Amino acid sequence: MPRIYFKTADQYVEFAEGEEVNVLRMAIREDIDVPWQCASGNCGTDRLVVEEGAENLDPPRRRERARLGELLDAGYRLACQTYTRGDAAFSWDPDQVGLDDEDGRGSESRTGWAGTG
Amino acid sequence: MAELMSPSEFRVALEQAFSGTMAKDASFSRAWATGKLHKQHFVHWATNHYHYIGPFGDYLGLMYANTPDHARDAKDFLLQNMYEEELSDDRHTDLLIRFAEACGGTRAFVQDRNNAMPFTKGLQGWMYYVSGRENFVVSSAALIVGLESQVPSIYRTQYPTLINKYGFSEWEAEFFDLHITSDEIHGERGYQIVLKYADTPELQQRCLHFVREAADMRFAYTKALYETYVEPDLGAWVEEDEREPALVG
Repeated sequence: MPRIYFKTADQYVEFAEGEEVNVLRMAIREDIDVPWQCASGNCGTDRLVVEEGAENLDPPRRRERARLGELLDAGYRLACQTYTRGDAAFSWDPDQVGLDDEDGRGSESRTGWAGTG
Repeated sequence: MAELMSPSEFRVALEQAFSGTMAKDASFSRAWATGKLHKQHFVHWATNHYHYIGPFGDYLGLMYANTPDHARDAKDFLLQNMYEEELSDDRHTDLLIRFAEACGGTRAFVQDRNNAMPFTKGLQGWMYYVSGRENFVVSSAALIVGLESQVPSIYRTQYPTLINKYGFSEWEAEFFDLHITSDEIHGERGYQIVLKYADTPELQQRCLHFVREAADMRFAYTKALYETYVEPDLGAWVEEDEREPALVG
């Protein structure tokens, strides 16, 4: 069974063979603290470094290419825009904010939102 | 008498409630994904879709008013969802109209309620009923889990066909690209609300009932699109592997 390794949180999430899953959705489902804000590829808060499994990820579409620019070549993907069909591993800066908010004026990200606890 | 399910059991039951009648499997969706439609069919689709999801902010507003103060996270989710539909980015209905215009339609045609099917007006009325009259957990199950969470599975099949087969640009088809990902997250957050606040067997069962009903509504609406606009041009829908083999020679 393929799995995503959320390295910064040291947590694995498995999914069914043959499925393609959205990386941010899987993080939210399992209450993993990936920072995020808009979930539509606008803010860039949920940018992740692809540590392993880049070959299993779907190619970036227009919004992600426009938002990340050169960061794509540096190995970043947006969790909300990325689907994987196999094993993959990601890391991130837990304190990161949106790409337009890097001067610290950004609003807080929404990790741990509305858990089922 | 049903017993209270655990969150994991309830999630599986919710997923199974609409798995047999997903709109991605309806005739209009199948014709779309296999490249059979013409641009005028897409204009009609966009017009009907406008009258189905155009008032989504209204539906969410009714649900917001029905959500008690103690469910603050649910209220915040609904408010955020409203904001994302209307203001955080391009207005979603404007992206839909952009696509219709790329197919030769006009804003005026799309926005004219007279150009929507009676079935679409019925679906819109059902959305207003559920969001205005049902418990907020039940309406979340119906509209977010039953309808919104289906969207990525539909558009992930249809979007590549729009680009590669029908020849639309990514800009023209942005409505679909946006919803592939944003509704993944809306759908997941909807699940979280329903799993958390459907805390009696009766509420869980009513959620399941309305998820089934929502899936039936969307499936029937999608099927009606084919029968109304496509069947007169292309005939009744038959899957490729069910067609009579072509005669050779």
